[in-house]
Amino acid sequence: MPAVSVDTFFACSLMVIAVLAAMAGASKLLYPYVNSANGQNSGQRYEEISRYLLLNIGKPTNWGQNSQEAPETFGLAKSDFGVPYELDVDKVTRLNAENMYSVNYAELYSSLKLSDVSFRLEIRPVFQVIINLTATFSFTNETTYQFEILTEKQGRAVRTKLTYYVFAENYMDIFSLDMPLGRANQNVTLSNSVHGHALLTVLARSSYDTRIVSFGVYAFSHNSAHQESTDTFVKLSPLNHVLNASFVNFEVNLSRVYALTFDHYSRLAQIAGNNESALYEIPHFLDPSPTILVLTGWNNSNFFTEWVAYPQVPLQIGADFANAASLSNVFSYAYEVTVNWAIYDCTVLLGGPRD
Amino acid sequence: MKNADRGQIRIIEAFLAVLVIFSAFAVSANLPTPRATIKRERLASIGLHVLMKLDEDGSLSKHITNQNFTALRESLGLVLPAGVCFNLTVYDEQMRQINADVISNGGFSSQDVVFAEYVCASQNATFHCYVIRLFLAVTT
Repeated sequence: MPAVSVDTFFACSLMVIAVLAAMAGASKLLYPYVNSANGQNSGQRYEEISRYLLLNIGKPTNWGQNSQEAPETFGLAKSDFGVPYELDVDKVTRLNAENMYSVNYAELYSSLKLSDVSFRLEIRPVFQVIINLTATFSFTNETTYQFEILTEKQGRAVRTKLTYYVFAENYMDIFSLDMPLGRANQNVTLSNSVHGHALLTVLARSSYDTRIVSFGVYAFSHNSAHQESTDTFVKLSPLNHVLNASFVNFEVNLSRVYALTFDHYSRLAQIAGNNESALYEIPHFLDPSPTILVLTGWNNSNFFTEWVAYPQVPLQIGADFANAASLSNVFSYAYEVTVNWAIYDCTVLLGGPRD
Repeated sequence: MKNADRGQIRIIEAFLAVLVIFSAFAVSANLPTPRATIKRERLASIGLHVLMKLDEDGSLSKHITNQNFTALRESLGLVLPAGVCFNLTVYDEQMRQINADVISNGGFSSQDVVFAEYVCASQNATFHCYVIRLFLAVTT
């Protein structure tokens, strides 16, 4: 075969590959523009679905409270809601995978009864509470921990009032603080006669709206080298105003359990228990605030603390749309929702197969 | 040109074609994607939803009655999504402007401004009705 024929064949093959690649690339890049009208209709449909998720109470109406039941029809609204976008504290809590009564995405997907729609739900406090341990001062009889507390939203300081609780062995105390600049340094002093876990729990409320509340928890080790993460000794799962403390380590002895809000706190009474778990009744607080549940106890001679929020936020559940190669157009809808009179940010992401 | 060199010219042509096509890709990849923007109708809907949420417990009308426009601005700034700027004007029943100062979280840098209108009533003994006009734009 002459050399010119080989060269021509090679050049033609290159052209064909280039044209095919161009066709594939152009269709991928121009898809959103070509389908703009179609996308507009999809957007309206998805917006209605996002509202439906938050305004519909679902079926059965009390699927949140019943730990054994998955919803037949999905909806997060409180069954006797007084205002729109008021969500049920237990329905929200069951969306968190860390709760032992949680429902999984497959159950929620089938209960939505829309086979061509995938979704993702994210619920979080309106602003963040950031706690940093900045210094430790050890003295003969006591140790002082210096904390920097920040309240901010997207890097912007939020003016707040704080209520913070400190837990250590045989010690619990409450403090209040104004944070006009959204930043404060606070000292926590603990006696050196005790050791083990210590916990700083901060509830922050916007100075301008009492329903905008957030929280932060910082666990630290006092006179002890061990620093275990949460759920090491006991796994806490609140539901239907009952806290289930399920033992992870069977050598633990539970001590006191507290429910904390911005304005109130209460020591919880045990209502049932066996060698695997203990149940505590959570009071119905009327102030707009998440409830932080703190459990204290001993593992052998080591003091420990565990905590959980009720509603169990922040949470994320649903399809993973973060992947850029996702074969779906994704529509995102932001809402402010109310749970127990407190306001939270809620983002609903919806997508489906490309038309 | 000799017959033996014609194939080489075609290879150069093919490489030129590939260069042209892939440079077109490079340009088109930088086009703005419509999916990433907040649409006008959606922004107005967010504004209305936020005003409704703030009015649920009567705090919206309370701030206006007390002329506490700082609280109104800070509350709105907290609950609106990041990257949205707003300008709010409050009128009484006769459409006279109540707020003397600007209630805003910054100047609009976008030409694409939407507005939501909301009517709220005071919850104290003396009845007052307020018309709120909230202008919104996405920060560019």
